[in-house]
Amino acid sequence: MTDRATAIRIAPRAGLVIALASFLGVVAFFWPFLVAPGKFGSNYAPPLIFGVLLVIVLCVVLSEIAEGGINSKALAMLGVLSAVNAAIRPLGAGTAGIETVFFILVLAGRVYGPGFGFTLGCTSLFASALITGGVGPWMPYQMFGCAFVGMLAGLLPKATGRREVLMLAVYGSLSGYLFGFLLNLSFWPFSLDPNSSIAYLPGLPFTQQFHRYLAFDLATSLGWDTGRAVTNFVCVTLAGPAVLTTFRRAARRARFQAPVEFR
Amino acid sequence: MSRSTVTAKPPAPGLVPDTRGRRLPRTLHPVAWWIWALALATAVSRTNNPLLLFLVLAVLGYVISMRRTEAPWARGFAYYLYLALTVVAIRVVFRAVFATGITPRDHFLFSLPHIPTPDWYAGIQLGGPVSLEALLSAATDGLRLACMLCCVGAANTLANPKRALRVLPGALYELGVAVTVSISVAPQLVQSVQRVRRARRLRAGRHKGLRALRGIVVPVLEDALERSLRLAAAMDSRGYGRAGTATRRSRRMTGALMLLGMCGLCAGAYGLLDATAPQLLGLPALAAGAALCVAGLRLGGRRVTRTTYRADPWLFPEWAVAGCGVLSAALLFSGAGFDAAELNPSIYPLSWPTLPPVPAAAILLAGAAGFLAPPPTASRVPAQRTEETT
Repeated sequence: MTDRATAIRIAPRAGLVIALASFLGVVAFFWPFLVAPGKFGSNYAPPLIFGVLLVIVLCVVLSEIAEGGINSKALAMLGVLSAVNAAIRPLGAGTAGIETVFFILVLAGRVYGPGFGFTLGCTSLFASALITGGVGPWMPYQMFGCAFVGMLAGLLPKATGRREVLMLAVYGSLSGYLFGFLLNLSFWPFSLDPNSSIAYLPGLPFTQQFHRYLAFDLATSLGWDTGRAVTNFVCVTLAGPAVLTTFRRAARRARFQAPVEFR
Repeated sequence: MSRSTVTAKPPAPGLVPDTRGRRLPRTLHPVAWWIWALALATAVSRTNNPLLLFLVLAVLGYVISMRRTEAPWARGFAYYLYLALTVVAIRVVFRAVFATGITPRDHFLFSLPHIPTPDWYAGIQLGGPVSLEALLSAATDGLRLACMLCCVGAANTLANPKRALRVLPGALYELGVAVTVSISVAPQLVQSVQRVRRARRLRAGRHKGLRALRGIVVPVLEDALERSLRLAAAMDSRGYGRAGTATRRSRRMTGALMLLGMCGLCAGAYGLLDATAPQLLGLPALAAGAALCVAGLRLGGRRVTRTTYRADPWLFPEWAVAGCGVLSAALLFSGAGFDAAELNPSIYPLSWPTLPPVPAAAILLAGAAGFLAPPPTASRVPAQRTEETT
């Protein structure tokens, strides 16, 4: 039993599915920069198409992860930790809301492994949306983003002691920025008047389009994202060591991958 | 809201309760509400006419005030209205600040100071003259988006999310269980936090703010993890993890379907974006991939066996509510009996928009859901029905 207990194992087949899913995720978020001019008629259609696509992809990935077997202890822990996340999500300052979710997500992903991180990212946001009445077309994008934040936290390199906490804190704040950047990108194409000079304009060359998006990101949410990054950094540095110890103790007691013997 | 201010005699024992012509209160199937709301949102996407959009908002308000319950998720519509206002405001302000100049035909309103941007940041203008037409078009477009947002909010308010969880396919059984667990555990966590804080006060814990974080988070987490282990033991003892009817062959088949489906989705996404890709690679490949994935999910559902306790019926009110939403969207898209230009009134020349009768009637038709749906359970007994988990 190593220090990093894997609560939910990712089978090779699930790994392959996740790789395909990440390709689709990149397409679903970055399509405004990738699409050839004249392929889409309206600015409303692609976000919906890709939203449905992400729902299917998430279903397939979660089903494949579950195929490998989620034992009752991992499942109960998943439920309880998503409840913790759903409960602390409204504590974040208002609508941006994700500030405090990453804190538990990153630490749990680190301790319980990438499979658990991925699933926790999905269940946390799903439960939170159900409790607060926030189900909508934005959910697949948020779930996808959070799932990858949790999974990548489980794939971080080995480190111990202070270096580990520092690494997780930096990762938490970076992922806060990246999450904001991607989520903005998901609603940028239709949220502004097309005649505004920072709106998405189909058919522009990449650099101009990217400049427009950067200006939009700067004007709307850089403040939020900075707040989120700082909160993550401070939370992980202050409470990280204690929470990591708690999680590891629980992992030892749960013995997720205990060998089954018949005598 | 509780219109059943009952002055009736108590029903005679042993007989069917006398409803005096009223229908028995029950919760509508959540999927019916979602179909209704999404159809209305689709109808909204067709029009730009502010009069029709305000009519949609009125219809939403009517249906919600008639048929919402006392559950916690049913109080969220006000937040959606605030969000809608924000969407409109952001659109208008950004249109004014990041302007693109005006044409001679526009009505000049005011001028913001022009701020030059560096050469390499080409194409983005800050400040400059602002016209009435620009602000109006931004506001009506924003209003349309806000209306769609409110439709989603209405579905969230009206549909019971716990019962909606049952619609999840069998292959996502574990996800559903985890979410159900977390919804039921969340209120206990609040109690846990209160307990820890009381204990800290008794011990004169002086730390405030961020420094108190560790002192609260760790005991609460310990408590939660402890609870999860107890819960796991309870689940094991009640037969969690019982295998379904899936054979080794059907599992392989599931995997193959999923992988093929994902490849289809990838090809479809590529075909959607690339101009040189053949037509077949676009939406057809996407649809085929999605179909394969859905088939895989259906087959994968055999992994678990589920039984339903107290199934949600799909009866006439469900058909009626979903149907009136879909019919209203179909009417707006068919363009029968009205001029399509009336749905999107032009702002050149500037004029007051007209209210086309057929679309207005279509939207009012969607409002019929307010009385087609059965009344929700009376506010006196919500504890029994809403606290129950799947």
